[in-house]
Amino acid sequence: MTTISDVGAPAPGPAPTPTTAKRRSDHRGSWIPTWGMVTTRLMELRKRRGLMIALIAVNIGIPVVFLAIRLISHAVAPKSYGPAGGYSIFTTLVPGVMYIFGFIVAAVVGATAGSVDLTEGMFRHLVITGRSRMALYLARIPAGLAIVISIVAIGYTIVCAVCVFAAPTQLNYDGVNVPQGLSRPALDNWAAAHADKVICNFNFHGGDGLNGPPPNVPCGGGPSSGPQPGTVIQTKGGGTITVPANESQAQIRAFAVTVANQDYSDYRSNFIVPSNTLMIDVGLWIALEAAIGFIVGLGLASLMGQRTVPVILLIVLELILTPVFSRHIISHILNLERGIVGVAMIHIEPGGLPSPFGGGGGGPFGGGGGGGGPTLIPESTLVASLVIVGWIVFWTAIGAWRMITRDT
Amino acid sequence: MTDLLASANPKEEWAVETHGLTKRFGDNVAVNDVELLVPRGCAFGYLGPNGAGKTTLIRVLLGLTHADAGTMSLLGHSVPRHRDAALAGVGAIVDEPRFHGHLTGRQNLQILAAAREPEAKGRVAPALERVGILHRADDKVSKYSMGMRQRLGVAACLLGDPQLLILDEPMNGLDPGGMLEMRDMIKSLVAEGRTVMLSSHLLDEVERTCDAVAIVDRGTVIRQGPISQLLAGSSFEVQVECSDPAVAGGLIQRTAFGGHVQVGPDGLAISLPEGTERDAIAEINRLLVEGGISVYRLQHIQASLEQWFLSVTSRLGSPE
Repeated sequence: MTTISDVGAPAPGPAPTPTTAKRRSDHRGSWIPTWGMVTTRLMELRKRRGLMIALIAVNIGIPVVFLAIRLISHAVAPKSYGPAGGYSIFTTLVPGVMYIFGFIVAAVVGATAGSVDLTEGMFRHLVITGRSRMALYLARIPAGLAIVISIVAIGYTIVCAVCVFAAPTQLNYDGVNVPQGLSRPALDNWAAAHADKVICNFNFHGGDGLNGPPPNVPCGGGPSSGPQPGTVIQTKGGGTITVPANESQAQIRAFAVTVANQDYSDYRSNFIVPSNTLMIDVGLWIALEAAIGFIVGLGLASLMGQRTVPVILLIVLELILTPVFSRHIISHILNLERGIVGVAMIHIEPGGLPSPFGGGGGGPFGGGGGGGGPTLIPESTLVASLVIVGWIVFWTAIGAWRMITRDT
Repeated sequence: MTDLLASANPKEEWAVETHGLTKRFGDNVAVNDVELLVPRGCAFGYLGPNGAGKTTLIRVLLGLTHADAGTMSLLGHSVPRHRDAALAGVGAIVDEPRFHGHLTGRQNLQILAAAREPEAKGRVAPALERVGILHRADDKVSKYSMGMRQRLGVAACLLGDPQLLILDEPMNGLDPGGMLEMRDMIKSLVAEGRTVMLSSHLLDEVERTCDAVAIVDRGTVIRQGPISQLLAGSSFEVQVECSDPAVAGGLIQRTAFGGHVQVGPDGLAISLPEGTERDAIAEINRLLVEGGISVYRLQHIQASLEQWFLSVTSRLGSPE
């Protein structure tokens, strides 16, 4: 080691200028990012052409192409192809495409935001500015979310608009065009007036309380949908009824009203167009899913210092682990299954939507109406909410921690 | 903030000061107990062969990695305790300057300016102009040559109107013209009262650019001080053109000058040991003339920084 005493140093230079002292009064040690940091980070992400194309293609392109094909098909051959929009299209497109792929693309954006400064050598430049590393990390969150959420919102708005403005004029329930939004008495009246359609097409569940057996009404010019005259029917009450040869019009109407009554609750869950409340709820739900995808991608990529592996892991999480763990109860790891963010998100799915991953069951808000697979694993709303908040906080913290401690 | 202001000592004469600074990577000691004093307002070379620990020391100074032992300060601010206040007055390039390739040079600087004080935003265009790439400022960095990226790195350093610039191998990738411009730029920065600390293994460039140097080898600073002062104490060579080199060589070797005599067809090359006074040259001339040798030319060759560097570092003849 050389000591300084034997070294003749040049004469000391000038002291810091007054501007230097002034400069020190900025808040670059603060963990709160400046507006300029957020906007420049937004610019950096926005200028990634390939990433933006992928983001737009998935969140806007796929729904637009799907709906455009349906619009054109319906315009060309309206008898063969139904309207492009409507409630059923909404409930198919949103959980099937926008929810799942929105998460994946948001995760790609997050992983990009979390890793490119490192891989492209800008991280050193940024650290050397003296700016708090926490602020450097946090600036990425609003910037990335602004991109992800706005693209998701545009795609979702297009879907909602088509589903509302290109919806069928009448509700198609069990193959029958029925006015939407009828009260129970109104549906009874309508059923009485269209008894043959109701009897031939609506689901008949049998059961006690029927005034008579299913009538022998010809459906579509062919035989009755009900049992043939002389058939002995086993009722749920344990008795039997023999179908008479002929029924009066009053009997037929009464039976149609009974069937309509049985199906009323199911009818009420069918709409021509999604309600405003549903569209808002679902919009917030897929925006939350995209935000989670972004934040987890950001944190994981910051932790690992690269983009590829985090993206693969998050695709596996979304497309494999979440569907499996949401439907199959493994008692030894039930709490672990509940702790998966995708499972928790299904539990807070807005009512009126089928589950994104199929199967039965549903959340406390009535979600998960469709499918016939295994039931969703049990989880309370509170636990599901805590899991979601926990994932957001954990991955933000882990990404920020790695950002602060990383050697570069 | 009061604390930060209080941490600065405006009368502090050293731009960089380290004591016992050590950084290890496992068993490898990359920075070994370094005592370094870089005066303000000069160009200071941190000189060493590849793998000597130059970049690691810079990374430690800038807070890019932590030190295992020792203390350090930049511009009078203790680091890492007052790192933000210290780095507010520092601009630096570490390793090869790399930027977002999909953005233009201007946009890259805007990102960096946003992380600095508000005034930095207004310095983007002047910085680009100063390093001579304003005409390419709106081209994507992926289309820049290595030399242009190096210039962009210097422009990034200037955004903070720094009192201290730390440049790691700033001549890398530059053509001769670019090296000349970089040298002039460093001199102009020093002329403005800024301190420039540059690391390099290009001895010639350091000698041309810097006022003072520290020599580092295997993580340890082995010498430091003004170049003129360091070289003044080194060995020097006297070249003699004379009538009978073989006889002249014999005469010199029989004296008490010491050193090494190399006999050539036209004369002698006499290497005199460290500390030899200049009067020795006159003494050699007298000795040869008195010995009947005709002396046609005597030239004093001062050892270059390169020769001095090789003589003091362990790399020469090292098995590695």
